Amino acid sequence: MPAVTATLALIIFTAGTIAGGLGALLGLGGGVFLVPLLNLVLGFPFSAAAAISLTTVIATSSTVSAGRAGKQLINMKLGMLLEVATAAGSFLGGVTAQFVSQSLLQRLFGVVAVIVALIMLSRLRHRNVILDPAADSGVLGGRYHEHESGCTVTYRVKRLPLAVAASFVAGNVSSLLGIGGGIIKVPVLNAWCGIPLRAAAATSAFMIGVTATAGAIIYYGHGQLEPALAAAAVLGVQLGSWGGMKFGAAASTKWLKILMAAVLFIVSAMMFMRGGR
Amino acid sequence: MSAERTSPRFERVIGTVLRTGVALSSTCLMAGLLLSLATGGGAPAAFLLNAGIIILLATPVTRVIVSTVEYVIERDWGFATLTFIVLLELVASAVAALVFNRKL
Repeated sequence: MPAVTATLALIIFTAGTIAGGLGALLGLGGGVFLVPLLNLVLGFPFSAAAAISLTTVIATSSTVSAGRAGKQLINMKLGMLLEVATAAGSFLGGVTAQFVSQSLLQRLFGVVAVIVALIMLSRLRHRNVILDPAADSGVLGGRYHEHESGCTVTYRVKRLPLAVAASFVAGNVSSLLGIGGGIIKVPVLNAWCGIPLRAAAATSAFMIGVTATAGAIIYYGHGQLEPALAAAAVLGVQLGSWGGMKFGAAASTKWLKILMAAVLFIVSAMMFMRGGR
Repeated sequence: MSAERTSPRFERVIGTVLRTGVALSSTCLMAGLLLSLATGGGAPAAFLLNAGIIILLATPVTRVIVSTVEYVIERDWGFATLTFIVLLELVASAVAALVFNRKL
């Protein structure tokens, strides 16, 4: 790993700001951009890149969820149930990451980057809501007030085992690759489990803090996390996602999504070229 | 398991835990990073940086502990058990980290 200099700290801070800003604009964590920046562009070992990225994921999850808590948008009961699965997946991923080669992780990242790009390009937009405020949401369902429509949205959770399985896979991928894993959970929760997109995204962002912590503890304890560089990345991502949320609401994200999907295809190709050596 | 949704008061408690954790950890990380760049490292900078990372990692853990306590107080044993399992999984990660640290 390169030595910590003011220049390197500034570069990583900037990389974090860009990744955090893009993440907030696209509704992602930003890790999917930060890991390749650190690994492919700056030449960090994959595990060091993943470790730094996971710390930024924890910070983003905590900040975003703190702002949303109290508004009933996060389905905390569902989140805490699914955390049992994501934390287990994340623990296993963090342990596995210590035994598999960097080239295998790079190829796996290449596969996941393509999946993320495809999901981004074909995002499903079902509503899955019951517009009857008196409807019974069941034990795990939820109810929140939607400002745009002025309605109280009620929903039930369907196909819970599928949500649990998706959470386990997301947790596993998260600590192996240093990304949040929301991009895997949110489409499943939204398209197949009956959870409205905004509630699915908020609940996923809430869970990701625990998921990333289970992985990051292992990297940190193993000495693969350089605190000074993680500090630069965390502060950068905080600034970037703040900016992205503040100025992103007005921006049209359609072309940004297409552009970033193209970037992810290139990232994927580069990961395969590096990993194939 | 109770069918009651999470109360707004409990949500606010969780929000406070997360907000405080991020604020404390960001402050330590920023101070540590600036000090480390100004002095070229040293024990005080390393202490601040590691404190910032540990507080960052401890924030979601604290949130899980607070949730477990809340569900025990509410006598919602199903969710108390689930959050306690999550806590055990986080402890397992810490134990795994110590094992790797010893062996390698």
